[in-house]
Amino acid sequence: MTPPVHQGLARRDLLTTLLALTAGAALPTLVRAAEPAGAFADLDRDAVERIGKAWLEQNPGTSAKTLAMWLFPSGQTAGTLADLRRRATEDFRKGAVFIHRGWRLSQTEGALFGLLALGSQGGR
Amino acid sequence: MAFIDARTLPDASRIEADLIIVGGGMAGITLATELAGGPIKIAILEAGGREIDMENQALYVGSGVMRGPDNADRPFNDYPVQSRIRALGGSAHVWGGKCAPLDPADFTQRDWAPYSGWPMSRQQLQPFYDRACDLLGIPHFGPDTPVLQDPARRPLDLDPRDGFFPAPRYFSKISGGADKAAFDAFRTDFAEAPNITVYLYANVTQVRLDARNDKVEGLDLACLSGKRHTAKAKTYVLATGGIENVRLMLASNKVRPEGVGNHHDLVGRFFQGHVTYAMDGDAETEGSAINVARAESMALYVPPGRAQPHCVIGSSLSGQTRMKTGNFTLTLYNGGEPGSGTPTQAETRVIRQTATRVDGGKDEGQLLGCFAMTEQFPNPESRITLDMADVDPLGMPRIKLDWVYSRADWDSFERTAAAVGDALGASGQGRLCWPVERKDYVAICNASRHHMGTTRMHADPRQGVVDADCRVHDIANLYVAGSSVFPTSGIANPTLTLLALAIRLADHLKLEMGAAR
Repeated sequence: MTPPVHQGLARRDLLTTLLALTAGAALPTLVRAAEPAGAFADLDRDAVERIGKAWLEQNPGTSAKTLAMWLFPSGQTAGTLADLRRRATEDFRKGAVFIHRGWRLSQTEGALFGLLALGSQGGR
Repeated sequence: MAFIDARTLPDASRIEADLIIVGGGMAGITLATELAGGPIKIAILEAGGREIDMENQALYVGSGVMRGPDNADRPFNDYPVQSRIRALGGSAHVWGGKCAPLDPADFTQRDWAPYSGWPMSRQQLQPFYDRACDLLGIPHFGPDTPVLQDPARRPLDLDPRDGFFPAPRYFSKISGGADKAAFDAFRTDFAEAPNITVYLYANVTQVRLDARNDKVEGLDLACLSGKRHTAKAKTYVLATGGIENVRLMLASNKVRPEGVGNHHDLVGRFFQGHVTYAMDGDAETEGSAINVARAESMALYVPPGRAQPHCVIGSSLSGQTRMKTGNFTLTLYNGGEPGSGTPTQAETRVIRQTATRVDGGKDEGQLLGCFAMTEQFPNPESRITLDMADVDPLGMPRIKLDWVYSRADWDSFERTAAAVGDALGASGQGRLCWPVERKDYVAICNASRHHMGTTRMHADPRQGVVDADCRVHDIANLYVAGSSVFPTSGIANPTLTLLALAIRLADHLKLEMGAAR
């Protein structure tokens, strides 16, 4: 998969995207808002960043806004994980995969790591 | 019990029988067992004794190398002696007892697999598989896609359209590695039949053809004690294993310089083996593994005890056809649990957590180690030859194994490994971690003791050493038993199939020798 590339993401767009991943949870500070949230809030931030960077290196120029639009075209809903699941299935069926140190992941998962990495970087 | 130590016979003794079986391994014993109590007088010539001894075992010393494109050559000089046993019962002394039939796909002629296709179908071999299972004390395998029925152990929910299925594996206790008493009974009880005599320490050194070169007229035998004997029968079966059958046929060159049954330069070619590929992980590197999303037990694939029936993830004919690949299995085992504290381990955990959540599971799923096996396509350049300058104490030239993989083998392997990863992911069952690189295949593989293809079966004498009845083309009274007759090797451990073929050969010989009831 190669998501469409759009440069110049505003930081607020990224925060908005990531806030949406919290599925409505209140976030008291801006810094916390930039952290991966929701279903992936507890992931090791450094590890996520390294994996996400690896994906971004294979997909140079990809912005967080682009990723967010590609991953969540309808915004965040209760069905977000199900959507990711469906997209991952489609990826695997057509061989659109991201391989990281041997792990064969869908491009959707790679893009998710990319987005989370961008968010992690933005929050620091 | 008719066991005779050939070393105790007077020098230059002559052994006579209706049927001589050269080799008292699983193929030879099965053949004799099927004919036990009948009218055919049988002599089994076993090169070893009842138990393993190093003086005899040293007669298997040879040399070898494994090669493959984009890989460094790997010396395999220990393999000829370490991968087989020269004693009554043969390599079953060290067999683990694992049983599986070849898949229906293995018998088919596949356009993308040169030299593939058997002169029989899996369906035609099915009754003999059933009888082999009875002999080994295991359940029958179904004729098509066998299923291990166990409601308490659910398979992964893979979409069959992706080309993978749970392929069962059973274990026989009749092996030296499982139940010594059962194994001993299997390898000796048949000799109580009045029509059977087993000669131990009887090394066959020459298959002598008659003047017309179309019939075996006798065998030359040698003992390490220095004694020499001969043997004569109406019919002969070579059952000394996938390497030694070749050695004996090529070394029997007094009448035909190319050896026995080698008119078309096929004896020793098409050597195929089974190897496993896996990578052990550590704190810094990933190991080969799958992470499954479900919390439910994986006991169907990873049974709680060793040698219990289980399944591997197998590649179906429809999958192989679509991918243009050979057979493939992925075997799972407990292990691979990473520690924590290193960046690699942290990334592994994050990947497992993410994939499991995307798949609808909880936490980080279950991590299992895995190893892969992939079919080696028949390849005439993968072969056994003789080193005529290097002979053993009996004067037999030692073997040289040149075990050669092709680019097609690697391509097939990689396509299937990718496909099984995609199948796991597409069905939401898990993710594959396969960190193995092509340049390392030869270096990291572990070789099984399976030697196949070197006297391959084919209806056309220009394409095979033996015909569909396992009779050597152009030699009226010489047959071959064992995995050397396999045209293709599949993935399954060869013992069950070589027993099925031995039983089939026994039925043929009963008819041929007028002993059918």
